[in-house]
Amino acid sequence: MIECDIAIVGAGLAGMRAAVAIAEKNSKVSVAVIAKTYPIRCHSVCAEGGSAAVLRKEDSFELHAWDTVKGSDFLADQDAVEFFVRECPKEILRLENWGCPWSRNPDGTIAQRAFGGHSVNRTVFAADRTGFHEVHTLYERLLKYDNVEFFSEYFLTNLAIEDNRIQGLSAIELKTGNLVFFKAKAVILATGGAGRLYGFTTYSHQVTGDGMAIAYRCGVPLKDMEFMQFHPTGLVPSGILMTEACRGEGGYLRNKFGERFMQKYAPEKMELAPRDVVARAMWKEIMEGRAFEGEHGPYLALDLTHLGEEKIEEKLPMIREAAIKFLDIDPVEEPLPVKPVQHYTMGGIHTNILTETPVRGLFAAGECACVSVHGANRLGSNSTVECLVFGRVAGEMALKYVENAKDVRINSEFIKEEERRIFDRIGKGSENPHAIKKELNETMDRHLWIFRSENGLKEALRKIEELKERYKRVAIADDCRKFNVALLSTLEVGYMLDLAEVVAMGALLRTESRGAHYRVDYPERNDEKWLVHTLAYYTEEGPRFEYLPVKITKWKPVERKY
Amino acid sequence: MGILSWFKYKSPFGLAFALQRITGIILLFYLILHLCYLSSLQSKELYETLTGITVSKQFMILDSLLILLGVFHGVNGIRIIVHELGFAHEIRKAVLAISAILIILGWIVGSYILFIALGD
Amino acid sequence: MKFVIRRFKERSYWQTFEVPVKKGMTVLEGLFYIRENMDPSLAFRASCRMGICGSCAVKINGRPRLACETQLSKFKEVKIEPLDNYRVIRDLVTEFEGFFAKHKKVKPYLIAETDYENPIEQLQKPEELKRYYIYTLCIKCGSCLSVCPSSATLESSLGPAALVSAYRFNSDSRDKGKDERMKIVSESFGVWRCHSAMECSEVCPKKIEPAKAIQLLRREALR
Repeated sequence: MIECDIAIVGAGLAGMRAAVAIAEKNSKVSVAVIAKTYPIRCHSVCAEGGSAAVLRKEDSFELHAWDTVKGSDFLADQDAVEFFVRECPKEILRLENWGCPWSRNPDGTIAQRAFGGHSVNRTVFAADRTGFHEVHTLYERLLKYDNVEFFSEYFLTNLAIEDNRIQGLSAIELKTGNLVFFKAKAVILATGGAGRLYGFTTYSHQVTGDGMAIAYRCGVPLKDMEFMQFHPTGLVPSGILMTEACRGEGGYLRNKFGERFMQKYAPEKMELAPRDVVARAMWKEIMEGRAFEGEHGPYLALDLTHLGEEKIEEKLPMIREAAIKFLDIDPVEEPLPVKPVQHYTMGGIHTNILTETPVRGLFAAGECACVSVHGANRLGSNSTVECLVFGRVAGEMALKYVENAKDVRINSEFIKEEERRIFDRIGKGSENPHAIKKELNETMDRHLWIFRSENGLKEALRKIEELKERYKRVAIADDCRKFNVALLSTLEVGYMLDLAEVVAMGALLRTESRGAHYRVDYPERNDEKWLVHTLAYYTEEGPRFEYLPVKITKWKPVERKY
Repeated sequence: MGILSWFKYKSPFGLAFALQRITGIILLFYLILHLCYLSSLQSKELYETLTGITVSKQFMILDSLLILLGVFHGVNGIRIIVHELGFAHEIRKAVLAISAILIILGWIVGSYILFIALGD
Repeated sequence: MKFVIRRFKERSYWQTFEVPVKKGMTVLEGLFYIRENMDPSLAFRASCRMGICGSCAVKINGRPRLACETQLSKFKEVKIEPLDNYRVIRDLVTEFEGFFAKHKKVKPYLIAETDYENPIEQLQKPEELKRYYIYTLCIKCGSCLSVCPSSATLESSLGPAALVSAYRFNSDSRDKGKDERMKIVSESFGVWRCHSAMECSEVCPKKIEPAKAIQLLRREALR
């Protein structure tokens, strides 16, 4: 049994920022940062484009908030957005003070670039490896504090909750394969999104929605899960992200006739319309036969050839390297083959503006949480900074909570039951978990993609039920405990199946189109009925849904045109 | 044993590193042997007998080998000094190639002089 | 294509797999194919599959590379082994705690007076950024340490990655901690362990040239 005051699960941007927030304020409280990979191998390092913040006089909090609310198709809680935009600048400056190598203007000030959906150039960036630099800066900063301990390669399996109060958690120590129990007065979940539900996705292999699924199973509701963001430019066929900054720096999207087709869909913003608008436009071009045909299917062209080598080397070096390395295509010379790709999970664990969940002592921040700041569609460069803002809030709230908290204890029944569940009950069957995952990916790619229909969603639900049945008979083909990846993969597939059910059913029930969720049978936005958040609660028979009204403070919903 | 790792080299640079160590050890060994040898030459008869054996066409091969080891260690050593001062890392392949050429040239010239000196 | 993999459970053993290859397929995709279709127990680390997280560094045909970035079309047959100089936990997964401990030793964080509650923007000209930027690109993959002969022969050697990190902060115009760091890297297990084998510069997937950074650091140590 490991004892600590605060346990943070997930060592990405949100998790590490929470740890820094705690250690800065209190050097006596013990913090355990528990993650299934080493901190600098988290998925946050893949973030490329930047982090938005109001830094200069020409910009205003009002404008950033309005851009975010409009971008969210008015599903964002406006009080949270107003709080959020006022915190962003300080987070950028703090990272700068901790050593982050932000790209600079010639006069030495932090540079900002254009990004989709933002009316002012406010996206702070570090070449096109923003997430990478932010993660390394945070990790290196964390090495300073003696009261923060890393538990790397520990895989979360369950939360210990008693009387609606968090007591701790259980995790598998990958090195030995043993189940380890953490007693913690407060727990912050920062486990990231659920991208690997899909086959064509920008996500790392290990992003399987663990924290979300476990919280859900423990009775914490998930919010707005049907809103999955599709990023316009994913490299074909790997799904590697071609950052929005490609378009921010002036890149064009062309169909097979060479036209800049965004003219038809968003004549004012063109390629810099928000992601859901561009993704739908691109998918429409593909469905209506105006896309190129390749050996990996249809694709459109991301044309950077007119930017010149110098600009690309300075502002977009990593995507150039990736295109050459993975496709043998140099963006300086040729356009890149791209297609809309699953990229972000707007939904997540239901929290209030203070990152509190309905369970006392349990907090959630980052992509795994849903405050909601992004509503039905997230603007680019708003997520990395959201992780920082709410990571800090979660850390400070957890600290305040433990300062007055009673002692916790982990029930010995919980320990016995968990050991039995992980080592004795799962995996006695014959189904290949990877086959189940593959079929899940195919189902999600087909029916829960950009354009959804009632029949498609019903088919998806039927298939997910079938896969869940088969999962009951899954096999774990490795009996050695040390670094048992077969056990890990199997547990991950279980998490993904639970989440897929919530996503599919939420999408089926929401009979409107808003932001990233588009129903071909209900193509209009319906503010009378659907200006609400979807809350999904776990039951044995499947998710139970409730609806929560969106908080409006300043901006009444209007038509969303770009 | 850690020293075996010297021979798990992945590039010509690692090979040069391993050879620098080997030639260094052999040259050190030789130096000690040589000093012992010289200090054992206590009389005129002993001097003429032993030098009759060691300064000969048969030993020339070993001496030529010694020249190779010495030239290698020296030229490679200079290459390393240049790099350790922080210079020429970007063109290190070229520097290695030039060093290799200088070593071979040095060995040929040195062996030739040896051959001439012994030629009688 | 034949994948010959050196595995490890209680003891080391070799196993061969025949993997169907498509155009553009990488070594990592081959490893995933084996795990998903042939042997679910094959243990290896992988995450981002785009060369930025540093998880998948393994020895491919004798040379450390990132599996996600290595095209199969380069080879006729692929021999995969875990990185040298690290203790093997299972199959291709090695112990990494030591690597991160060495990194931590050099104080790899910006040392400067800053205000946490009300941070102020520090200026840094693009030329100043350029001076250290390439050394910020280290993904901590561990390839450099696996080929460094000095680090192989002495466990306590700091190794290339940690020293590059030290140099990166020393050359950051905002940093004030150079003296503290120089004290640490000037110890016998620091810069002086480097004897210019330069293998690290040859295998670094981000082409950082750790050997050069170490020599520049050494210059500082002599001041």
